[in-house]
Amino acid sequence: MDFINLILTPFRYLMSWLLWLFHEGFSLIGLDPNSGWTWTLSIIFVTIGVRAALIPLFARQIRAQRAMQALQPELRKLQAKYKGKKDQVSQQAMLAEQRALFKSHNTGMFSSCLPLLVQMPFFFSLYTVLSTTSKASGSNEGIAALSAAHVRSFDESKIFGAKLSDTFVGTLGSGNPNMAVIVVAIVMIIAMVASQFFTQRQLMTKNMTKEALEGPFMRQQKMMMYILPLVFGIGGINFPIGLLIYWTASNLWTLGQQMWVIKYNPTPGSLAEKELNIRRAAKGLPPVGKTKAQAEAEAAEAEEKAQAQQQQRQQPQRKNRRKK
Amino acid sequence: MSHHHPHEPADGSVPVADVIAQLGPAPLVPADQVPPTPWWRHVVDLPRNLIIGFLKLYRLIVSPLYGQVCGYFPSCSAYGLEAVTVHGALKGSWLTARRILRCNPWAKGGIDPVPPGRRIWSQDAPPKIIVLNHPPLDEAHPAAAAARGA
Repeated sequence: MDFINLILTPFRYLMSWLLWLFHEGFSLIGLDPNSGWTWTLSIIFVTIGVRAALIPLFARQIRAQRAMQALQPELRKLQAKYKGKKDQVSQQAMLAEQRALFKSHNTGMFSSCLPLLVQMPFFFSLYTVLSTTSKASGSNEGIAALSAAHVRSFDESKIFGAKLSDTFVGTLGSGNPNMAVIVVAIVMIIAMVASQFFTQRQLMTKNMTKEALEGPFMRQQKMMMYILPLVFGIGGINFPIGLLIYWTASNLWTLGQQMWVIKYNPTPGSLAEKELNIRRAAKGLPPVGKTKAQAEAEAAEAEEKAQAQQQQRQQPQRKNRRKK
Repeated sequence: MSHHHPHEPADGSVPVADVIAQLGPAPLVPADQVPPTPWWRHVVDLPRNLIIGFLKLYRLIVSPLYGQVCGYFPSCSAYGLEAVTVHGALKGSWLTARRILRCNPWAKGGIDPVPPGRRIWSQDAPPKIIVLNHPPLDEAHPAAAAARGA
């Protein structure tokens, strides 16, 4: 655990420094430095700051995703090859062929792991800062870039009569439960869990391809969609209110970002893409990733096919046969 | 189409033989060729097994949240699990850290197998991650493909 602490220390300094910076900023423009609302705003702005800094990475991924459009016929061929082979090993084989295909077409990746993992130490260190204020305040210590006075100010600050360092379990077990803490904690836990659940559900109903929805990972993913709110709901009663604020703000950012992606840059082959193309058609625009000329050529081809079929049906031979 | 691989079929797909070549062989041998496990192995492998447990938990709980994010085969977490299984805690973690750095938005993805290590297993009882990361592609196993009706 000391090893993990060592890795987290620089992140903890950065996150607590950012928290301090926003708190000083809000105090400077006249907000009460010891108010829970000033600290709440500081937490929200730290969250927004870190998430905004990561936007270029996500923008890059979305651009790469566009290139996948051209690969749709190849991907469908691959899906046909593995049709009906739902076992995990066959699915892995398909995945291997798929990735080789992307690479050979130089499409780049539709996503990547580093941006997801990069966020983790930042948020985990903020988590450790926010969850240790009570202990640090009790022993009159600072936390990383926050002085002992700041920690005490944070620890004592209140919103709606509930201290940011209070927990649901803590107030229940104190013998003299504080109604304000119970209400604020429950509202924040519901907001945190609901935003997470809604994000996950929106991703799965709108922004996944039909193939992914039928794939072998889907059952697990669906299960997690229902289990995680439970885990966070139960975990949440142990979280200080400041931490619940951070977590909810972070979830809402994710939700907003995802809504934007679903509206303007959906995954190729997903329901969201279909809806985008319907909206584009209403405005007289070609489908995503196609030029107007391409779309027109395709439409003309389809019409020609339909006409050819009609002509076939009108062949006189059939009439003769029917008369017989 | 000048950038295409010379063996590539005209339709733009990748030949299975190429994918198999890129994946390389799985570290599996017939049961009678597996070297015996020395007693101290279990002690030395303690950190390795801890990391394996952590990675399995991550793959069970965290991975499904994000879906198929990774542009590589095997995915980063599958790579990590195999790397630590095959190479042990130190080298496995090092290989995994390097892979995660490779898995950035500027990378091209593709087939990126774990380099072969010293540990090998019996074909009869391989670790699951080895099987998943070295799936039988149909050309390599015509018999298996026929059995599956391909």
